Amino acid sequence: MTPPLRFHWSLSSVGDPTRRARATTTISGTPIFDEYLEFARQAEDCGIESLLMAFGFSRPDPIAWSVALGRWTDRIKFLVAVRSGITAPTYFVQQINTLSTLIGGRVTINVVAGRVPDEQRYYGDYLDHDERYARTDEFWQICHALWRKDGPVDFSGKYYRVEGAILRTPFEAPGRTRPEIFLGGNSAQADALAVRHADCLLTLPDTPRKMAARVGRIVARGTEVGLLVSLIARPTHHEAVAAAEALISTAGDRSAVIHDETRHRTDSVGYRSLYDRAIRESSWRTPYLWTGAVPHFGPPAIALVGSPDEIAAALAEYHAIGVTQFLFMGYPDLPEMQFFGAEILPRVSALAPAQARRPGPD
Amino acid sequence: MTAIRFHWSIPGSGVKDALRGAVDRDHVNPITDLDGQLELCRRADEGGIDSLLLPTGYQRADPIALATHFGNATKRVRYMVAVRPGTISPTLLVTQVNTVAAVLGGRISINVVAGHNSTEMRYYGDFLSHDERFLRSDEFWTICHALWRAEGPVDFTGKILRVEGARVNTPFTGESRNRPELYFGGSSELAADMAVKHGDCLLRLGDTPARIAPGLAGVLGAGKEAGLLFSMLVRPTRKEAIEAGHALIEQAGDGAKSVQDKFREQSAESVGFAATYSLGYNQAEWPEPFLWTGLIPFMGPLALALVGSPDDIADALLCYRRIGVTQFLFHGRPDLETLPYFCQEVLPRVRAKEREEGLLPVAGTR
Repeated sequence: MTPPLRFHWSLSSVGDPTRRARATTTISGTPIFDEYLEFARQAEDCGIESLLMAFGFSRPDPIAWSVALGRWTDRIKFLVAVRSGITAPTYFVQQINTLSTLIGGRVTINVVAGRVPDEQRYYGDYLDHDERYARTDEFWQICHALWRKDGPVDFSGKYYRVEGAILRTPFEAPGRTRPEIFLGGNSAQADALAVRHADCLLTLPDTPRKMAARVGRIVARGTEVGLLVSLIARPTHHEAVAAAEALISTAGDRSAVIHDETRHRTDSVGYRSLYDRAIRESSWRTPYLWTGAVPHFGPPAIALVGSPDEIAAALAEYHAIGVTQFLFMGYPDLPEMQFFGAEILPRVSALAPAQARRPGPD
Repeated sequence: MTAIRFHWSIPGSGVKDALRGAVDRDHVNPITDLDGQLELCRRADEGGIDSLLLPTGYQRADPIALATHFGNATKRVRYMVAVRPGTISPTLLVTQVNTVAAVLGGRISINVVAGHNSTEMRYYGDFLSHDERFLRSDEFWTICHALWRAEGPVDFTGKILRVEGARVNTPFTGESRNRPELYFGGSSELAADMAVKHGDCLLRLGDTPARIAPGLAGVLGAGKEAGLLFSMLVRPTRKEAIEAGHALIEQAGDGAKSVQDKFREQSAESVGFAATYSLGYNQAEWPEPFLWTGLIPFMGPLALALVGSPDDIADALLCYRRIGVTQFLFHGRPDLETLPYFCQEVLPRVRAKEREEGLLPVAGTR
């Protein structure tokens, strides 16, 4: 049986709605804490289960930031992004376990392989795309072994070696011995890695018809599939389309140049192909799936566009092929999330009462 | 001329555990006592303690996350976060520390530990030797300082670490500093060199003033500070303090001795731990009237204790102050009783004596 739908939101451009249209080097990594906190509290009221805490040189550290936000919130979970190759796996598990004990277990993990080699080198990581995936595989073998807690962990791989590893800080969350793991990616390696180590693959959307076979294969092997997608919903179809088109004009001329540069710096399969197709092909893949903002805001700007009924129907279409989770972004985020909570989530529940799970205390 | 600064180490085994160090670290659960630890932080915040040490190790919770958590519940006290280079990229460490600083108004400093136990370092995937670890530490802090200077993208190629074009868009903010204070722990020459090159203060295990003084010349001459670690047994009278000490030994029993035998072997490559252990095993129990080695065989190298009445302790601290020691890091036995008592009874006496000896800044004491 297909599990109910779960909804997450990206905290990454709160308080800075145009950040995705700018060069990351110009973006402050010290956002205003109170704006993030207000957003987190609103998310709790909007039926959002978790917030993505992104990782990068223009971001605050997601672990410390989650401790701080977790102190002043009650239900929302924090989806902490991690790139292997930057922290030793044993220390990473220690940090996550500590976080879990401090915020009542409200931590989940978003595994990302890193998609811009330039930026990986900021952290001392010089591996290429395929090697990063191989290393990520080793990283998660060690993490899982530590979370199983069945004795000291020995591991000897190509990239990592640990000997006799034990940790005295347990992972603490109701009914769990390790955090739920999401893995972001769009390549065949990502699919394989998600099946091996994660609970859910987070990937960029295509049309349900084009995605169905791939989603089916992953779900059949016991891993969920979620979509990382922007949301542009308005009371009517026309208003939503107008908002989408207006978004491009707010991005400004520089944005397309910036993302063209990023496209040439990334070695992410999904980013490159989505970006290239967005430039080349029609911006409407289906009546609701729009790529028009991708050249200006990057591949995660591929968007579901429409009225609440249309969006609910689109979510149901994805659900029908096995997609069970959504990680949304909005332009700007707060009103979009509030509109989602008020207008779309009730419709999703009405379409199929068992379909949408409003998160509550576990 | 600055007032002496006092730091306190947060225990992993419990703020009411007078036998700190006596339990095998494999059996410590570092999170059962989080509420007690928070209580200790509040007492430190009210009492005039400068910062609280959050140590690191497999038997500990993560200091970065804990600092954020405790710091959110306190206003003034700072958190000295222990860092082992080799478990994290320097660029990420700077991001984490700067993020905590942003949340806590800059109330974070760093305690650099090179790792005293190769067995444990291998838990973290670190297979370097003692000397290689110091080399990496040198490279690590070179990169961190460059990032904190924020003069543009950082390129560095060392023997062990390499970064290219590194930047961190979360600057260190607070306390009119652009980087955290760095305390370097260690009793070897290498550690002192590192403190001079990269740090603000060298933190050493305690000993008698006469034995401590010669090793500080380099650090003090370079304009850096020196700090000492001690356990503290302070009671209204010296007699009571000594009795309390002997009661602890009774309580710890022979089991604690075998724990120390194991830990002594594991930490043999640490110059400071080895020296302090041998103090406890081989030397006179009272190398100074205020300094007692009796607990060391039961509670380890951090159990070298200042013992006495509030006046005795204040006098002892001034003895170290006269040889140039300006910071102290304490363990209490137990912490939750000792810290507030220290703040009430010892701290004012220290300040009075500093004033008498002209050791306080004229205006605006911290």
